[in-house]
Amino acid sequence: MTDALALHGLVKIYGDKRAVDGISFAAPTGKITGVLGPNGAGKSTTIRTIVGILTPDEGRVDMFGAPLSRESLRRVGYLPEERGVYRSMTPRAFITYLARLKGVKAADARARADQLLAAQGLSAYARKRIKTLSKGMAQKVQLAAAIAHEPDLVVLDEPFSGLDPVNQRGVESLVRDLAASGRTVIFSTHVMEHAERLCDRIVLIANGKKAFEGTVAEALAVVPASATIETEGAFDLAAALAPHGFRTESGGEAHGHRKWRVALDGPDASRRLLAACASANAPLALYEPARATLHDAFVRIVGEGVIGDME
Amino acid sequence: MQQIYLIARREYLAYVGAWGFWLSLLTAPLLLALFAVGPLLAGRAEPTRALAVIADNPRDAEAIAAAFAARGADALPKYVLVEPPARTAEAIALWLTGAKTVTIEGEARPLFAALFVRNAGDTASIDYWSVNLTDRSPSDLAVSAIAGRQRADALAARGLDAAETARIEALEPRLAQYDPRAQTGQAVTSRDRAPYIVGMVLAFVLWSAVMGVANMLLTGVIEEKSNKILDSLLTSASPLQILIGKLMGVAAVSFTLFGVWALLGGSTLSLFGGGQSGFGAEVASAALDPGLLGAFLLMFLGGYLIYGALFLALGSLCDTLQESQSLLGPVFFVLTLPILLVGPAFQNPSAPLIVGASWFPLFTPFVMMMRAPSGLSFADFAGPMVLLAVTVAVVLVLAARVFHAGVVNQASAASFRRRLFAKKSG
Repeated sequence: MTDALALHGLVKIYGDKRAVDGISFAAPTGKITGVLGPNGAGKSTTIRTIVGILTPDEGRVDMFGAPLSRESLRRVGYLPEERGVYRSMTPRAFITYLARLKGVKAADARARADQLLAAQGLSAYARKRIKTLSKGMAQKVQLAAAIAHEPDLVVLDEPFSGLDPVNQRGVESLVRDLAASGRTVIFSTHVMEHAERLCDRIVLIANGKKAFEGTVAEALAVVPASATIETEGAFDLAAALAPHGFRTESGGEAHGHRKWRVALDGPDASRRLLAACASANAPLALYEPARATLHDAFVRIVGEGVIGDME
Repeated sequence: MQQIYLIARREYLAYVGAWGFWLSLLTAPLLLALFAVGPLLAGRAEPTRALAVIADNPRDAEAIAAAFAARGADALPKYVLVEPPARTAEAIALWLTGAKTVTIEGEARPLFAALFVRNAGDTASIDYWSVNLTDRSPSDLAVSAIAGRQRADALAARGLDAAETARIEALEPRLAQYDPRAQTGQAVTSRDRAPYIVGMVLAFVLWSAVMGVANMLLTGVIEEKSNKILDSLLTSASPLQILIGKLMGVAAVSFTLFGVWALLGGSTLSLFGGGQSGFGAEVASAALDPGLLGAFLLMFLGGYLIYGALFLALGSLCDTLQESQSLLGPVFFVLTLPILLVGPAFQNPSAPLIVGASWFPLFTPFVMMMRAPSGLSFADFAGPMVLLAVTVAVVLVLAARVFHAGVVNQASAASFRRRLFAKKSG
């Protein structure tokens, strides 16, 4: 199946800064792709170039198998990073207006607005001015407006920012529903947990360049899993595990226990480690296997200094 | 086209639904009405002025009294001659400065002026005392009255009786003004002058409208920038479509304003214009002249597109109104200049200054509106209009570029200034 979106060597230059520096990646149709990176990495510039707001200095964007065009943009729903609504309009009128701009007929747009507002629990506010709504509600209205025309590709720039945990879960659920209905979703975030929970594929951007592209599992594979072990007394776990092929690092001592960190390579590494500990009669006080996180993976990929404010 | 229509429609409904629209709707007619009736109301509101005449010759006092009486009861400001409370300038100063008062119409008031008329043989002199240094009408009237009395005395000394003197004094040529361009050969009447007044009023309306709607566009685009709404629009419409949609929407707002103003103006003229005759009716007839109305709409279109596009483009570079002020200062200055030409253009629409100004595209709409009633030749009309059309096209193209850069945040007021500065120094 054709990728819904493909970026080819995208470059965007501001003054003497290459905000986006040769980024290429693809978003498979019907999948959720996360564009991750710290603030200032170039995510929003990439997203704004994808939706045609910015023109790339080099490279190109292909959408639905053809170069980006005004026609293909009609099939795109976009939630900008900087939220904006006409505060004096009603939610119903605002959603209808944006849907009509995308080519939806007036009656259909109104019906769709009512349906989306009901789904968001905002029916009671449909005819009140947006300026009377809370910030969270206004964000929901904007998200509804972005998908009111039932787009094939949904591009969300930092959709979780500014939302409380309950509403964040609501957006996560919406993203899953969109993908389940066959739509392609791309969203940018600097919060790894969302990406880890939602994404089929992820793209890491740092300093305007693509640092990684692949599945979450592929990203996690960059950092091996590990186990944290505490042993009683002066037992030397590193020496005991070395014959079994385990790499063990000492983590110091505390409260009469020695701490160890053991790398777990392979699918049954945790079981083999426990067996090795048992055969060496290791006096275990604590055994805690730890799965690598995306954050760990990205620290490994781009370095602690670059990862910045990513959560 | 659908995008342009939807953007224009939203703009229109947003403005018409705002209280600022209704304020604009009422402001211009109120201002015009104020200009028209303001001086009259001010004159009526002023209390009757007290004058004292101290004359060596009683006939001088009588002549001055007759001259003031001849002004008519409705003439403004009103004057009343009172018995002089003192006979010397030093003494009467107390009444002139308000330290002492005279009683007029049951109220104590200071003396407005005192006229000391002295005679020495054939010559007479008038010393005019008043704390008001600008209004010379009482002294001018006194001079005219005394001059009449002197001429009458001189003629009487040469044997002419009073009736003959009055007949000679009344001699005056009949004046009839003709326009060589008029085919009827009839003398010029107020009906012929009415279009010039209408032209001047329409130029003022045009100026107010352009100023008002350009401001609407400016505040609208700045609000959208600060609301961060433009990114959502830009995935559905191109910057040029947004620019044109906004211009069309606000143009529709303007035409609504004009419609309401025309309705108000028409009703007022029919109420106070004296029915089928009189100057009001002539002005109303001139205002409904299709040629003049057509010229107005054409000039509005030109002026609106230039200034509207300019304000939209500059507004797109700014995030706040304060930021826009520094960029728009020069534009406001240029926009103010044509209003200074209204007076000279009314006096002489063919003066070199006015003709020259009509060729400057930023002034063309306003100045041509003032010149339109004077019967322009084809070259006089077509030349500035072609230049205006070219300028409109150039401004629209440039404004669309700036607007594009501004709305996608690739240019700002600061970067625009830097670029201008770099060009100037380069």
